[in-house]
Amino acid sequence: MAEYKTQYYPGVGKVAENRRNFMNPEYELEKQREVSDEDVALILGHRAPGEAYKSVHPPLEEMEEPDCAIRELVEPTEGAKAGDRIRYAQFTDSVYFAPSTPYVRAWMMHNRYRGIDTGTLSGRWIVEARERDVEKIASDLLKTEVYDPALSSMRGATVHGHSLRLLENGLMFDMLSRTELGEDGNVYYVKNQIGEPLDKKISVGKPLPEEVRKEKTTSHRVDGYKMRDDEELLKFVQRIHKLRAMAAYQLKIEE
Amino acid sequence: MPVGEDFALDYERRFVKAMKRKFEEDPKDKIQTHIGMGIEQSERKKEFRDAGKKIAEERGISGYDPMLHLGGIPLGQRVLMPYKLSTTDSYCEGDDLHFVNNAAMQQFWDDIRRTTIVGLDMAHSVLERRLGKEVTPETINEYLHMLNHAMPGAAVVQEHMVETNPGLVDDCYVKIFTGDDELADEIDDQYLIDINKLFTEDHAKQLKEAIGKSLWQAVHIPTIVCRTCDGATTKRWSAMQISMAMIDAYHLCAGEAAISDFAYASKHAAAIDMASFLPARRARGENEPGGLQFGLLGDIVQANRIYPDDPARASLEVVAAGVMLYDQIWLGSYMSGGVGFTQYSTAAYTDDILDDYTYYGVDYINKKYGGIGKAPATMDTVIDVGTEVTLYAMEQLDSYPTLMEDHFGGSQRCGVGAAGTAISCSLATGHAQAGLNGWYLHMILHKEKHGRLGFYGYDLQDQCGSANSFSIRGDEGAPLELRGPNYPNYAMNVGHMGEYAGISAAAHYALGDAYVLNPLVKVAFADPSLKFDYSKVRKEYAKGALREFSPAGERSLIIPAK
Repeated sequence: MAEYKTQYYPGVGKVAENRRNFMNPEYELEKQREVSDEDVALILGHRAPGEAYKSVHPPLEEMEEPDCAIRELVEPTEGAKAGDRIRYAQFTDSVYFAPSTPYVRAWMMHNRYRGIDTGTLSGRWIVEARERDVEKIASDLLKTEVYDPALSSMRGATVHGHSLRLLENGLMFDMLSRTELGEDGNVYYVKNQIGEPLDKKISVGKPLPEEVRKEKTTSHRVDGYKMRDDEELLKFVQRIHKLRAMAAYQLKIEE
Repeated sequence: MPVGEDFALDYERRFVKAMKRKFEEDPKDKIQTHIGMGIEQSERKKEFRDAGKKIAEERGISGYDPMLHLGGIPLGQRVLMPYKLSTTDSYCEGDDLHFVNNAAMQQFWDDIRRTTIVGLDMAHSVLERRLGKEVTPETINEYLHMLNHAMPGAAVVQEHMVETNPGLVDDCYVKIFTGDDELADEIDDQYLIDINKLFTEDHAKQLKEAIGKSLWQAVHIPTIVCRTCDGATTKRWSAMQISMAMIDAYHLCAGEAAISDFAYASKHAAAIDMASFLPARRARGENEPGGLQFGLLGDIVQANRIYPDDPARASLEVVAAGVMLYDQIWLGSYMSGGVGFTQYSTAAYTDDILDDYTYYGVDYINKKYGGIGKAPATMDTVIDVGTEVTLYAMEQLDSYPTLMEDHFGGSQRCGVGAAGTAISCSLATGHAQAGLNGWYLHMILHKEKHGRLGFYGYDLQDQCGSANSFSIRGDEGAPLELRGPNYPNYAMNVGHMGEYAGISAAAHYALGDAYVLNPLVKVAFADPSLKFDYSKVRKEYAKGALREFSPAGERSLIIPAK
């Protein structure tokens, strides 16, 4: 019997390939910028850098938990071991070729991280986890190819922007102006994700060039990679729909 | 594969005019320049600000203050866009489309809630067979004279009774209709809903055949009564006044047993509610929005009577009716509270966007299948029409950044895209379940194209909906016409139910059916004396938005003049 190989996502186009890459934990996401752990904590806004993590229970090893097969089977995350509270990171991604989309981020989480609870809406995507785990995830998401400083943004509230036309400087619209484009061409966070002003500006690097965006995008667009052109993907989705519709309640429908 | 982009090249986009007016910038440019204008760009927001100040001064309690938004950053950092009521030339501000600010929207619901249809045959049978009374067109006319005195809240049997002020209840009346032309000819014109005059010859024939020789009363109790009480009051109020009018018209004894037969018939046996009562967890009586079946809304709305050759137009009026009732009023206020639901709903009846998607589907159907209602009701048709309209709709969002900004939330985009897709499938096949199935095809295609869909609720019903779209057994689903807001998967999700009403109606309008679910309801709401004109839903909303609509149930007669 042939060994099963996870396929992750159907389709032959570039968008499908990028989605597979983001979802596949064997694929190493390209690191594109440096953001220090201290700066990640500042952007998140949950604790001051250097401040101890708030806990909601003692460290697991001090809790004398009862014998349990599941507990033995599942290795706790670092945050769970320490008893961290649950915090969140939330991102907004522009429709104009931001590398990630909400669903792609969710699929990526399920394949790459443990101990997370992710929520997917049209204009934002949230992940909740133990605080130090959230910081690790946010750090990964800010530094790698899943993020474009101009078209992706951490936004805890007042998230609108993903579908809005861009500003003249190319940044995604943000009512709270959490980021700004510096004269040096870098994008800076001047407010944390919930919109509170920061004491310092935090650089997240330069916006991606347009040609890079179009190659890295995980969204089909008529001015990029069109869904019409990926016949395999279209057929696959149509097949799922047909099977769900016809299999349900053993319906006999005219072919 | 779909003929696709080549086919779309020649299609004239209906939404472009609205985009130009709304944003005052090139609708295809993805850069915005009008930013940071705040509420000064909006006459309505400024009016609200001034009103808030005045109220706070007069009552000594603070109220509306737009500077409280988000730590002092006012709304309007981007364009506070106006909205065009689709198919009209009227523009208004978004605030004007909240039902609290729109008297036409309120009257739309009031006129449904205050309506009950009551059969007269049972009462006449009691009069003739049990009491030996003669019932003739003359006695019916006299009865209606008395009933139109009594129904608003006047006495007909006893003296020294308190009565309602006629000036407060002038919207209350009763008319009758029948499929019997001979009887109809004998009824005083003021009391008759004339099927032959109001409907096309074909529709009139269908309706008269369905109604037969039975005789029905369309009762509209006072708006002010339903507003003070509730929808379940309607048939109770109506039954009491009908019983009293019967006593008077036929000189009956107020205490004889036959009177209870009239009351029972009027309140139960011969009474038709516009909406059924709801289970305890939603706890509403009859004639409240949660019990109004999708198919019935297609009968309440009269656009297929006015536009019998344009089933797409007629279906879109049903959508406009449904999203306002089910999303703005039912889910948005009865079930949830707050103001956010209006933003979902308006997407379906403003800026000619859903119209554009739907007429694109009509063009496609006409060219590929040779006309409306001519495609086979098969999965292949659903997949063909559904995929093409879905891709067209989503490609417009890519090509027109202002369109994307207009439908700035994914729930708006996928609700309206799915509606255009599903109505097209209904129109192609004349089959409501095929239309519904097209809705769910749109949803899963939409999710894969954009990598995003709507809010969490769309994950609930739209990703499992394919599997229940053909289930018609009572414990698993129902024909779409018979489903309603209390259908389990639909009970909590904005942006769907009005569209479902349009989808179910489209299938019947496509085939030239005079009615969707109930011929009596179709005829009752054809009545031109109703306050709200159900043949032009969006135009009526526009009148409400522009403050040109005169509603019923006003209290100015009994309050100090301002």
